[in-house]
Amino acid sequence: MINRDRIKAFLTLLPSMILIAVFVYGFIGNTFWLSLTDWGGVAALAENPVRNYAGLSNYKELFTGFLGGGFRQDLVNAVYYSVMLLLGAIGTGLIIAILLDNKPRGEAVFRTIFLYPMSLSFIVTGTIWRWMLAPQGGVNILPTYAGLDPLKFRWLSSTGAIFEFNWQNLLQIAFYILAAVLIIGGLMSIKQNPTRALRRFLLPGIAVGLAAWLFGDLLPKALFMEETHGFNLATLGIIMATIWQYSGYTMALYLAGFTGISQDLRDASMLDGATTAQYYRYIALPMLKPITISAVIILSHISLKMFDLIFAMTGPDNAETGHPALNMYLTTFRANDFAKGAAIAIILFLIAATFIIPYLISSYRQRRTR
Amino acid sequence: MAQVELLDICKRFGTTEVVHNANLSIGDNEFIVLVGPSGCGKSTILRMIAGLETISSGEIRINDRKVNEVMPKDRDVAMVFQNYALYPHMSVFENMAFSLKMAKLGKNEIRQKVDKAADILELTPYLHRKPAALSGGQRQRVAMGRAIVRSPSVFLFDEPLSNLDAQLRTQMRMELKKMHLKMKTTTIYVTHDQIEAMTLADRIVILKDGRVQQVGTPVEVYERPDNRFVASFIGNPPINMLEAVVHRTSDGDAISFCGLTFPVTLPDGCRDQDQVLAGIRPDSIKRDEALAALPEQWLIDGRVVVSEIVGSQSLLEFTMGEASVVAELEGRVAAAPGQTMKLGLNLENLLLFDPDTEQAIR
Ligand SMILES: Nc1ncnc2c1ncn2[C@@H]1O[C@H](COP(=O)(O)OP(=O)(O)O)[C@@H](O)[C@H]1O
Ligand SMILES: [Mg+2]
Repeated sequence: MINRDRIKAFLTLLPSMILIAVFVYGFIGNTFWLSLTDWGGVAALAENPVRNYAGLSNYKELFTGFLGGGFRQDLVNAVYYSVMLLLGAIGTGLIIAILLDNKPRGEAVFRTIFLYPMSLSFIVTGTIWRWMLAPQGGVNILPTYAGLDPLKFRWLSSTGAIFEFNWQNLLQIAFYILAAVLIIGGLMSIKQNPTRALRRFLLPGIAVGLAAWLFGDLLPKALFMEETHGFNLATLGIIMATIWQYSGYTMALYLAGFTGISQDLRDASMLDGATTAQYYRYIALPMLKPITISAVIILSHISLKMFDLIFAMTGPDNAETGHPALNMYLTTFRANDFAKGAAIAIILFLIAATFIIPYLISSYRQRRTR
Repeated sequence: MAQVELLDICKRFGTTEVVHNANLSIGDNEFIVLVGPSGCGKSTILRMIAGLETISSGEIRINDRKVNEVMPKDRDVAMVFQNYALYPHMSVFENMAFSLKMAKLGKNEIRQKVDKAADILELTPYLHRKPAALSGGQRQRVAMGRAIVRSPSVFLFDEPLSNLDAQLRTQMRMELKKMHLKMKTTTIYVTHDQIEAMTLADRIVILKDGRVQQVGTPVEVYERPDNRFVASFIGNPPINMLEAVVHRTSDGDAISFCGLTFPVTLPDGCRDQDQVLAGIRPDSIKRDEALAALPEQWLIDGRVVVSEIVGSQSLLEFTMGEASVVAELEGRVAAAPGQTMKLGLNLENLLLFDPDTEQAIR
């Protein structure tokens, strides 16, 4: 009986399994294969284009090649963009949700107002913010209402950059990041299991950090010349617009979560002596960890795939505000360099996977232990 | 170790008043039970004492200190909620330790107190589990543990047993009583279950529609209910209420109902030919050998409607004239429906109520 049920279930699922296999995994595989070829150049659009296996040369060129500087800046932009968007949208959404959770007068109205930007398309958001961020536009003349001088900041075309680093030291920086991750992980788990945290995380973290600091000069350089990249101030405008659009969304996520927590828990925590801040810190937020995780995953995906908003705000080829997704589009369909475009797509895919895979593994484990 | 006083407490939600002028004075170490049907304002009163609801008017005093404006955490009360309200992401230990952590106690002190409470409640093996991995009874005990670690001066319970199955409820009820006898902390306990109230309380407060109906020991409210509602609410199976007329003549007092007249001693509050409601408790109805103790005139013939055996006792529903009456009889009665049975009414315990005001006539 069970066997027949299984066969039926399998047959029912088969069509979607085939479709997903072909259109998702098949195409990922095909893109990966293309990224290993040299498809591109003058004859790229020929009826039967020449495609020779070229190994990892596309990747090598993107990361260490003479002409890859633009892509590298785009990648750095995407990383800063993701981090800022996560902090900004989750932080803002959370603060608004906490305020609304305490039932101010007109809570429903505010909720709608804050959620409203979600309903706009990126093109509309982009256009609105392009006007607002124009050199003599809305944001810059805001101080004049208070009798101050207008701002002069060029939101979308500033060439300034902060947090700069030399791409040559890529390996060293990677080791620093690894050390930081280990140390933070160790500090987070030190309460539950101090010896394990010390052995598995803290000591290795400190060792890696120290080694990278002492022997960083011995590491091979990623590039033959110096090339600095940093957080381009011109991306601030885009970050602001995205935060504006998405903090309503995170607010809705958190507010739904807060509303789902029984009033009794809040009452109990009050009787236990917790202040409002402590209630959120110790009770509400830890209970909403799944919401935070989904928000991080969703927002990091959005920021890694961001295309239309940047397109609408600064056009596709503003070097200061570039993004790998735009770069991929330009490389593939303007420069007809299909192989390199595929390589960029695969790089974005891998970065996205680093967010998702740990999540999938942990939720799978949780389901198993339950 | 605390007295709690409610002085003319009112609670309004918007324009609807749900608690009307409640007065209550609770002594040291007392176990007070607030009982009443669902929606009568029990939880609201308890939450006002805890400080979780504002007080619309009146005054609450704990240990002679007015606490109307005092924050819940500063009232030195602990509360156990109906659904336990355990923090789901914390282990049993963390749940019990939370209030101590908020009070900034030292690690060792917290551990000591939690361990002691866990020991009393037999929770030691479960300290590292999350609430989701506990049974209903264990969760209930964690909720109590969370209350007792703080050694508050007042315990508040809001229907703490109503989510448990019947057997566990009886068991937990006895444990609660034992715990109170041991710790002697002033306790205010809310329930809609009059059996819980009768078994646990030093004194019972009966509420209806936001008004206190009567305050008294379990025996007092059972034997001398102030009004018809209290008489009907307390006691299981419920009291039989029969329409009756009283007679005060030179021959002596009598009461007639169901077409029969019985000589009784009437309270001073009734006059000849008054219409009254006669309340007869099911356990005031006797049979067989117990009949010998009753005067001849109190014996009747009952026509059996249905009988059921409950352990060593039997419940019997019978008709007497037009009225249908329930009796709780000693021993196992196997009576066929339609059969006529000799029964006696012990009218010494007769309760009389005014049919209009529903107040007891005394
Ligand atoms: N927050 C509230 N807003 C409006 N009415 C309420 C609120 N809480 C309780 N009530 C009303 O007050 C009355 C008493 O409620 P409650 O104290 O919970 O009753 P009980 O605990 O005796 O079942 C009910 O009629 C209920 O509808
Ligand atoms: Mg209630």
